[in-house]
Amino acid sequence: MNNVKTNNSLLRPYRILDLTEGGYMIGGRMLADLGADVIKIEPPGGSQSRIAPFYKDIPDAEKSLFWYAYNLNKRGITLDINTADGQDMFRKLAKKADAIIESFDVGYMSSVGLGYDDLIKTKADIVFTSISPFGQSGPKAHYKGCDLTGWASGGYFYICGNPDRPPVWISFPQAKLHAGAEAASGTMMALWHRLKTGEGQSVDVSMQECVTTNSFNAPEMWDLNKVEFKRLAKGINIGTQGLRVSVVWQCKDGYIIFVAQGGVQPFVNSMKSLVEWMAGDGMADEWLKQMDWAKDYNASKLTKTVVDRVEEAFAKFFMTKTKNDLYEEGALNRRILIGPLSTTQDLSHDRQLQSRNFWEKVEHPELNDTVTYPGPFLKLNNNPMQYRRRAPLIGEHNVEIYETELGLSRTELSKLKEARII
Amino acid sequence: MTKKVFEGLKVVEFAWVAVGPQTSKYLADHGATVVRLESHTHFDLFRGTSPFPQNIPGVNRSMFYGKYNSNKYHATCNLNLPQGRELAWKFIEWADVITESFRPGTMKRWGLDYDSVIKVRPDIIYVSTSMQGQTGPFSQYAGVGSMISAVAGFGEISGYPDQMPAPPYGAYSDYFCQRFLSTTLMAAMDHKQLTGKGQWIEQSQLETSVYFNAPLSIDYEVNGHIAGRDGNRLPYAAPHGIYPCEGSDCWIAIAVFNDDQWQAFCSVLGNPDWTRQEKFSSLLQRKNNEDELDSLIGQWTNTKRSKDIEVLLQDQGVPASVVEKSSDLYQDPQLAHRKFYVKMNHAEMGTPNYPQQADFILSKTPRETIMPSPCLGEHNEYVYKELLKLSDDEISDRMADESITTELPAGFKLTTNM
Repeated sequence: MNNVKTNNSLLRPYRILDLTEGGYMIGGRMLADLGADVIKIEPPGGSQSRIAPFYKDIPDAEKSLFWYAYNLNKRGITLDINTADGQDMFRKLAKKADAIIESFDVGYMSSVGLGYDDLIKTKADIVFTSISPFGQSGPKAHYKGCDLTGWASGGYFYICGNPDRPPVWISFPQAKLHAGAEAASGTMMALWHRLKTGEGQSVDVSMQECVTTNSFNAPEMWDLNKVEFKRLAKGINIGTQGLRVSVVWQCKDGYIIFVAQGGVQPFVNSMKSLVEWMAGDGMADEWLKQMDWAKDYNASKLTKTVVDRVEEAFAKFFMTKTKNDLYEEGALNRRILIGPLSTTQDLSHDRQLQSRNFWEKVEHPELNDTVTYPGPFLKLNNNPMQYRRRAPLIGEHNVEIYETELGLSRTELSKLKEARII
Repeated sequence: MTKKVFEGLKVVEFAWVAVGPQTSKYLADHGATVVRLESHTHFDLFRGTSPFPQNIPGVNRSMFYGKYNSNKYHATCNLNLPQGRELAWKFIEWADVITESFRPGTMKRWGLDYDSVIKVRPDIIYVSTSMQGQTGPFSQYAGVGSMISAVAGFGEISGYPDQMPAPPYGAYSDYFCQRFLSTTLMAAMDHKQLTGKGQWIEQSQLETSVYFNAPLSIDYEVNGHIAGRDGNRLPYAAPHGIYPCEGSDCWIAIAVFNDDQWQAFCSVLGNPDWTRQEKFSSLLQRKNNEDELDSLIGQWTNTKRSKDIEVLLQDQGVPASVVEKSSDLYQDPQLAHRKFYVKMNHAEMGTPNYPQQADFILSKTPRETIMPSPCLGEHNEYVYKELLKLSDDEISDRMADESITTELPAGFKLTTNM
C-alpha cells in the first residue's frame, strides 16, 4: 500500500510545510494522517532526526525507524533556507501553502526573512506555527532546550521516580512529542479560524507549558495548600499520616501495577476478589480472608504493620503468576484492578490491539520489505485514517514538487542541486 | 474586534475526569459554549480528588476538577432516570458536539449511543474516549488512572536499570490523549463545514499511547529489541541527566549533544583539569566513562543553586534547566510572561490559579479564562431556560422529579479517592 490512494480523508488536503525536527515531527504526522498534504522539508543531505533505532540495526539515514514513525504520510523535499535562492524557493512554496510548522531556535526564521511578518507579504492568510522550549518571547525565549530540559522546566520531572533515587524520566524522550502533538492542535485551531473568517495568524507553542500540563494534581497542591508534592512511583500515600501502599509489584515474568488500596469502591471489591483468587490457590491465610477492606483497610484506620503483612502476602502470590495470568484472569475475569507493565513485546501480542486490527503493514520497496507500524491514533467511522505512503526518502519528492508543481525546469533543479540549495 | 474562534459552537459534555474535559476545554477557552452535565448523585470522580482548600473536601472544592472545567457552564441531569434521559435528548438536539468517556456500553444502556443519536442528529460530531476502546475483549477493562499508562508501556521504560520500574506519576496517558482528540475534533468540524457530515471519533487511549511511542514498537517488530529503561541517560548525549544542587532535593538538568556544547560547558566550570582528560574528550569517550563523568559534575553542581547554574550554562548556549518543583512553577517568570496561570474568584475555593489548557497562544485569538470552574448545577437556570428554552413549568417539574437535581442527598458524605 505504498502508492498514493485517492483518499476519503477527514481533513481536506491543506498544504502544510513541515520544518520541525526531533519529536516535534509528530505534529505534522498527525495532520498528514488526518488527510493534510504535509511536505517535510529537510536540509540537503538529510535531517538530523534520522536517528536510531535503525532497520536491522544498520545506521543509515534511510533506515531510521524514528524517522519512519514520525514522517509516515508526508512527502519530502530538501531545501537550504540559509541561502537567498533557498529563501526564494521557500516563498514560492509558502504561496501555495495553508500552514507552516517550524521548530527552529527562536528568531531564526525571521533572521532569514521567512518569519510570520515576512511571509504574510507572500500569503496574507498563512497560518504559522512555531514550537520552542519556552515560547517565542519572554525571559527564557532564547534558552537552548531539549527533551530533558523541557521535562525539567514543566515541573513533571520532579514528581516522577522514587524517594531513594533522583527524579527519573521516561527513557524514551517525551517532551518534544507533547509539544509536537500540541502544535497539531494549535495549527488546526488556526485553520478553523481562517475557515470562518479568512484570517490567518501565528501559533506559539511552548514545550514547557505542555510538560506542566502533565503534572496531574501536584501544582494545585502547592497553589492551594503549599504542599510540595514529592515523588513516590512505586507507591502512593494514603490518608494524612504518610502511610504508603504499593502500586508496582514484581511477578513471575515482569512487573504489574496493582493499587493495594481499600476504604472505598472500586478498590474494596478489587481487594476482595484478589483474596478470593489467592484463597483458591491456597495462598490466603485466615486473617487475610477476614479482613474488612472497607472498614479495616481505610486510610484513617490503617497502620504500617498491617500494610506490610498484607503486602507480603500479595507479593508472594504475584510471584506465582505471569503478567498475562494476572491480566486475563485477574483483570478481565475477576475484575481486579490490575494490569501489566507491558513491554513492547507484550504490546505486539496484545489481544485487545489485535482484535481492533490496530497494527498496519506498510510497504517499503526500497528495503524490499514490509514494516509493521502502530495503527492510527484513533478511529473514525466515516473517514478512517489511511496509511497512504511510508516516510519520504531524502529529497524523494523534489522533482514532483519543484518541477511538476512549482514549474522549475530540470536544468534549474540540477543547478540548485549542484549548489546544494536543494 | 476579532471574533472568538469557536463563538456559537455548542458542546454538551457527558465526559468525566481528564481526557474528555480537557478536549472540550480547548474549545471553551476560545469561545465555545460548553455545558457539562453531572448530577448531585452521580458526579465526576475528580470532585472527590485532592487538593481541596485547607484539605477540607467538598464537591465544589477540588482544584483538580477545577482546572479542567473553567469556562464551562454546568447543569445537572440525572441520566439514571427516564426523564433525565429525555432532558439529555434536548441537549443532543441543541449541541454541535457531544463528548463522553463512560465505560463502553454505558451510553448505549441509556439509549444515548452514537447509533441512537444519529437517527435524530445525523450530522452530529460524537466524541468517545475510553481506556481500550469501544470494542474488543478488553473494552470492559476496569481501570483507574495510572493503570492504562502502565498497560500502554510507559511504566516498563521508566526508572533505573538496576531497580524495579518507576512509572510516571499519575494517569500519564491522559496528558497527551487530549492533544490528539482536540486536533481530530477540529478536523471533524472542518469536514462537516465542507460536507455537512458528522463523525464518530472513537479513541482508545491504549492505541493513542502505542502510536505516541511508535519507534519503540517498530523496533520490536523489525529488530526484536525490547525497549528498556536507563535512568535519565540518552545513547547520543553525554553529559545527560540531572545533578544535585545546593538545598534540599534540588536538581539541575544538563544535556550536552555536541563538542561545541561540551567546550562551552567546560568553560563555565572554569576548565578544571579533569575535563581535559582523554576519557572525556569525545561523546563516545564520555559515554564509556559516564558514571565518573556524572560524579565529577555532581561535585560541581552540589556547591551551587540550581537557578544560578541554569543561567550560567544558558548564557553559554548549553541546554540546562532547573528541575522545577510545583512551587517553582508559580514563580516562573516565563510562565508569568505567557499568562499561563490566571487567578479567578471561586464561590468555594477562594482565588485559585487556573492553568491554561491549550499550551499555545494564537496571535489574533488568544486563549482566555473568563469563568471559574462551575459548582454542581450552578447554571441550571441559564442552561435550561436560555439555552434549551424550556418553560418554567417544565423546569420545575424536572426539579420535582429530581431529574434536575439541586442538592446533595440528605446525610451525604463525600468519599475522597486521593
